[in-house]
Amino acid sequence: MNEPETFEILVDGASITARAGETVLQAAARAGIEIPTLCHDDRLDPMGSCRMCLVEVAGSRRLQPACAWKAAAGMEVKCETERVARHRVHLLEMYLADHAAPATPEPLAPKNQVLQLAERYGATRRLPALEARREARADANPYVHFDPDQCILCARCVRYCDEVEAVSAITLAGRGAKTTIATAAQTQLLDTTCELCGGCIDTCPTGAMREKKPRSVVELAQPVKQVRTTCNFCGVGCQLDLHVADEKVVKVSAPPTGTTLNDGNLCVKGRFAYDFIHHEERLTKPLVRENGQLVETSWEIALKRAAEGLRGVEQRYGAQALGFVSSSRCTGEENYLVQKLARAAFGTNNCHQCAAT
Amino acid sequence: MFGAGAMTNSIPEIRDADLLFVIGSNTTEAHPIIAMEMKRAVHNGAKLIVADPRAIWLSEVADIHLQLRPGTDVWLLNAMAHVIVAEGLADEAFIAKHTSGFEAVKATVADYTPEEAERVTGVPAESIREAARLYATTRKAGIYYTLGITEHTHGTDNVYCLANLVLMTGHLGVRSAGMNPLRGQNNVQGANDAGATPIYYPGYQSVTDPEVRAKYEAAWGVPLSPEPGLNLNVMMKELNTEGIKGLFVMGEDIVLSEPNAGKVEHGLNQCEFLVVQDIFPTETMRYADVVLPATCFAEKDGVFTNSDRRVQRVRKAVEPPGEARPDWQILCDLARAAGYPMPHYSGPGEVYAEMAALAPKFAGISHERLEQHPEGLHWPCPDPEHPGTPTLHLDGPMVGIAPFQAVSYRPSAELPDPEYPLVLSTGRTLYHYNSASQTLRDPGTVAKQPENFIEVHRRDARKLGAGNGDRVRVHSRRGEVEAVVVVSPRVRPGCVWMPFHFPDQLTNRLTNDAGDSVTGTGEYKVCAVRLERLSPAPVA
Repeated sequence: MNEPETFEILVDGASITARAGETVLQAAARAGIEIPTLCHDDRLDPMGSCRMCLVEVAGSRRLQPACAWKAAAGMEVKCETERVARHRVHLLEMYLADHAAPATPEPLAPKNQVLQLAERYGATRRLPALEARREARADANPYVHFDPDQCILCARCVRYCDEVEAVSAITLAGRGAKTTIATAAQTQLLDTTCELCGGCIDTCPTGAMREKKPRSVVELAQPVKQVRTTCNFCGVGCQLDLHVADEKVVKVSAPPTGTTLNDGNLCVKGRFAYDFIHHEERLTKPLVRENGQLVETSWEIALKRAAEGLRGVEQRYGAQALGFVSSSRCTGEENYLVQKLARAAFGTNNCHQCAAT
Repeated sequence: MFGAGAMTNSIPEIRDADLLFVIGSNTTEAHPIIAMEMKRAVHNGAKLIVADPRAIWLSEVADIHLQLRPGTDVWLLNAMAHVIVAEGLADEAFIAKHTSGFEAVKATVADYTPEEAERVTGVPAESIREAARLYATTRKAGIYYTLGITEHTHGTDNVYCLANLVLMTGHLGVRSAGMNPLRGQNNVQGANDAGATPIYYPGYQSVTDPEVRAKYEAAWGVPLSPEPGLNLNVMMKELNTEGIKGLFVMGEDIVLSEPNAGKVEHGLNQCEFLVVQDIFPTETMRYADVVLPATCFAEKDGVFTNSDRRVQRVRKAVEPPGEARPDWQILCDLARAAGYPMPHYSGPGEVYAEMAALAPKFAGISHERLEQHPEGLHWPCPDPEHPGTPTLHLDGPMVGIAPFQAVSYRPSAELPDPEYPLVLSTGRTLYHYNSASQTLRDPGTVAKQPENFIEVHRRDARKLGAGNGDRVRVHSRRGEVEAVVVVSPRVRPGCVWMPFHFPDQLTNRLTNDAGDSVTGTGEYKVCAVRLERLSPAPVA
């Protein structure tokens, strides 16, 4: 592959290498220089609307958005000047005036980046709060909750829905201070093109978009632990973080953008369809057939009965009368063991995984 | 492909492609995250060709939609090859250097003119020409397919035709190109890799190869059968002919998932002994003599291998319910109960190490090493220093010389007739997964899709006097099922489509268990049905 052309730019006095076509934000990020953002997501086209990433660019009178400003050879950028710092504080104070803190903290709610940045840059609730003027609407969908009081209208959710999931189910609706996130025709989400991927939740920087399911988890006896694993549905192999509290999976999220093959994305099944794990209908005891009925038994008896039954068929009809159906839902190791069971323990190659037909 | 049964290229390459040729894959519903990569490629300006009997989400944004009649893929693909040959678009240098048998393909496709193909497939000749030209003349052009290609009695022929297109255009060993079967389930690739196939030991080593067999006999300490085993489709049939008398089934509800469910049930009634190992009660369990409660992915350690040959870790997050045990432990215990001295593995990591030691393709992969690779490792990975192989054939085909396969069209096993006038295809939806034992237990996915439905073209719906939401009974020669009508612009006239997810209205009572002559894969995509309206007639 052809390597893109590179050149040097100066960021806060340090010379870093930028690639042709890169933005100031991208070049800085690769060099380990963090510029704060709110409306930016690597998966989306730059929008430059939140103004959080404004920096000084030599030769430009006004501050410029690093997320949309293309790097050019010899460009000189300053991210930590007094002017930039003043801008950040003032901007965050305006956001705070329009941004209610959640009444009751939820243990599994995502981090609110507005509040985090306000703390980092010393912005306070100095300006009078705007009157709440965006009404929350009830929506019957099972997964996605929207709280307009925490929304900063960065439109990441809308842009994700347009550009990544590409179903355009939600939109910026209304005008001026009444602007909000809504479905196009004010319909319920289930009646739109929404595919319930939950990407809007994932990209939201404030938690205005959040999950309905784990909201029921209000108090937790232990801290939540996260376990990285591979999704068990289709063959894409998305990486998941299972959030575990009190020995239960209470939430599933995608690893950060750019770290695994799913690039921060998940589908409706991977993100939300985990209720089966702790479902009451799970099998919990071995069963054997007695007088035509399946009845509970011990592992010892079940395994003995299974082994004798299969051996009996082998003795009566030969190993070729046995079949072993393995599973493409199970792990590689388990499939290895099924074929070893068929071949080494019972002497037949009649072993095939379920996805074969 | 071309020496490895897997995607030739990796999923992250898709976003950089200049052309995507998606055939027999409703990617947005079956592989949503791969579809996001495709959407990104299109957003970046890639061309998109979709071949599918249905109008699907991708075909709506495609540059060319080849809406062929179900089961006529060989005609369509041979006609594309015809255009490539006739217009001198073949990559002669690649063909000469890396392939054999092109002359035979040339001779065969000479008869497959676009005009004749239009008559058989229903796709305009000009669209076939345009698609062929676009595909042949774009360098980073990848083919993506799934069960719409393979679930036919001529599924292997379909795959050969696609491979011919890849070879004649030299789209092999090129990033963002290649030939890419998208695997339907989390570990289809890994199950095949691990040897859960009747003809291969782990790592695609043939059971008929005496040297390979000797290696496994030495490792496992027992003599092994030199006879290739029966594939799943044949096993299911032999339940009825009493060739198979004892069956062990792990993690599949065969009654729901295999074609021609009535016949499978009949076969299970004949079966003398059945062991089922699963996480939920299943239909198959009704016939079981022993049921072993197993664990789901969140309760055990191991690896899944995804569609692009990427081995990734599965990690235990929670304890299994009640007395349920990890499948790997059950399998070891069962082997020991049957008198085979299965080693006392410390865990799945040690099982993987045993597999990798005997299979060169995975020799460099271990649980320990995967901890250092959050993005996974792609096989082939022959030693612990090897970085893995996201893209295959970069130095020419792995097999050395890749053979063309000349293929002629054979009709599907069951075609529509006056008694059963409609062609039924089946498939997966976004909101459910296979037998839906997991997704029907989630209120959200159920809210989106609560019951079985059938997509019917407006013209056929009018003939039947049925509208949206009316109930119909769908009949085939093998069974009958009720479903709700969705009058849909997505299907062709004369064609209907149903999902296969709903146990109480089981679509697989209808499907045909006629299998592909090589793989045995059932013909889920084409069978003949008729509809009977159940709802009262609309008021005139």
